[in-house]
Amino acid sequence: MPARNAQQWSRPPSGLKPGEYVDSRIYSDNDIFEEELQKIWKKTWIPVCHESELAKPYDFRTMTIAREPIIVVRGSDNRVRAFLNVCPHRGNMIERRPSGSFAEGTPSGNPKRMTCMFHAWQFDMKGNCVFISRQEEGYQDRLCPKDVGLRRLRCEVYFGGFVWVCLDDKVDKTVAEWAAGCLDCLQPSLDAEPLEVFHYHKAIIPCNYKLWHDTNCEFYHDYLHYHNRITGFNDAYFARKNSGFDNGHINVGSFEVQYDKYEGFESRANVSFPSLPPNHWYMIDMFPGANFNLRGSALRCDLMTPLAPDKVLIEFRGLGLKSDSPETRRARVEHHNTIWGPFGRNLHEDLLAVSGQGAAMDSRAEHRHILHGRHENETIHDENGMRHFYDEWGRWMDRSPGNPDQRYREGHNQPGVSA
Amino acid sequence: MSSNGADIATAVRDTIYLASLLQDDEKWAEWLDLCDEDFAYAIKAYSPEIQYDMTYLSGNRKELQSITEMLPKHNTDHSPLTRHTVVYTVDVDEGAGRASAVSSVAVHQTMLDGINSHVDAGESRLFLIGKYYDKFKIADGNVKFAERVVKLNTRRLDKGSHWPI
Ligand code: FES
Ligand SMILES: [Fe+2]
Repeated sequence: MPARNAQQWSRPPSGLKPGEYVDSRIYSDNDIFEEELQKIWKKTWIPVCHESELAKPYDFRTMTIAREPIIVVRGSDNRVRAFLNVCPHRGNMIERRPSGSFAEGTPSGNPKRMTCMFHAWQFDMKGNCVFISRQEEGYQDRLCPKDVGLRRLRCEVYFGGFVWVCLDDKVDKTVAEWAAGCLDCLQPSLDAEPLEVFHYHKAIIPCNYKLWHDTNCEFYHDYLHYHNRITGFNDAYFARKNSGFDNGHINVGSFEVQYDKYEGFESRANVSFPSLPPNHWYMIDMFPGANFNLRGSALRCDLMTPLAPDKVLIEFRGLGLKSDSPETRRARVEHHNTIWGPFGRNLHEDLLAVSGQGAAMDSRAEHRHILHGRHENETIHDENGMRHFYDEWGRWMDRSPGNPDQRYREGHNQPGVSA
Repeated sequence: MSSNGADIATAVRDTIYLASLLQDDEKWAEWLDLCDEDFAYAIKAYSPEIQYDMTYLSGNRKELQSITEMLPKHNTDHSPLTRHTVVYTVDVDEGAGRASAVSSVAVHQTMLDGINSHVDAGESRLFLIGKYYDKFKIADGNVKFAERVVKLNTRRLDKGSHWPI
């Protein structure tokens, strides 16, 4: 078919069914974005950091989910808890540093307390308010500390020590239930012994968060990467399964990476994870936007914080075993960074591609269709991972991804449309 | 310092500045010609988030050669990087045939094709800041890079880069 006129361009290709394409407005529309924060990001379990980042009692990490500032602290009982990082007095953000310890005092407060520097209200590691400056003078008997505790959040440490937070008090599933089996393939490798984060960097990319998640879910973009183009394509590779789990999560199953065929790379067989055959590779993509990628020697984890329809913060982590010898750690770091570091071969290409998508999807541009219609027996170049994600997305949003003006059931979930 | 030592300090400075010019021009082979056979390169940064001394990229001369020769095969952001380098200190150990230097570096990126070239191309942005910790081998009055550690302050690197800094 030749190039299409405006009317033809505005229609999806006739051979594709609903579910096999999405409307670009889901990546650009501001109202849809705000709705996603409320209906999805504030309702689901979001991994926020790794427990090794707050290794000792009184250590903390700060972050945001859906614009809500969050603090994760380790109590003297070693338990990790999460709170809104917001002072109940005049709403100041309590802790401004990305990480640190409350073991020492701060200019306005005592050791072992979270202190709001503004008027020096103090909180313990369980979120109880334990001190109000000049309490009686100002509040007489009208307000006492127990009325002004922090807002506590659902929090679990699960799956190799990742810290998960949910802003919805009423979330009816544990993280394990929410994962619905999608973490099983890596659980023996990650839960055998403590992990440690050795790499962190961040990117703010001018694209919708789902475009990054899509890129992590689809392997058809092997053509983007030089190393994948020259080494990836053999029968075992194309047999890799791309499987969906409940709640919108997916796995891409293992195969053996032939690093010795990568120009300038050596086999990574000598450094691995417990229970993981050498050079094997598993990928887990969790709804609505977390990625765990264990490629032989290094675990990569991408966590996303959507900032605007066309703006996402991505935090990249690399993890190894806490027990690594310096030599093993060096090998893991090098293996991780040559591909996935900020100066690595593949990550830059992936980020360029989604930046290009973002640049072509301005919210005021005409909307268009994004095709997710490849069927290859649910193997590696099938686009079933994205279809599975958007089917879940449609349910949470009650919108059809192919036409977000329609309700989910009207548009997306028609008989005969398989995810 | 002897007059010879002063000459070596000048040669060290010149070598650092020449390296920046060659890197700016993406003349990678010529850049590597300034490096000793045993050259070791690393980009490092300390992360207050994870409280860890990180290595973002590392390689010996052979690995850097392989990385830079592969560049045309990669899809890449071709927006040129321009290094503004200032050599702060040079220490020469004539007897040992070694020298070391600390430089400050700010790298700007002049947008070409990284995002939407119609809008962005031609705009210069700050890409990263950091310091060069360089070590040199001196033989017969010749100064060669033995080691370069780029210590970054910048950890939000957005799209990143395929190019050594
Ligand atoms: S705003 Fe925190 S103590 Fe006043
Ligand atoms: Fe990729």
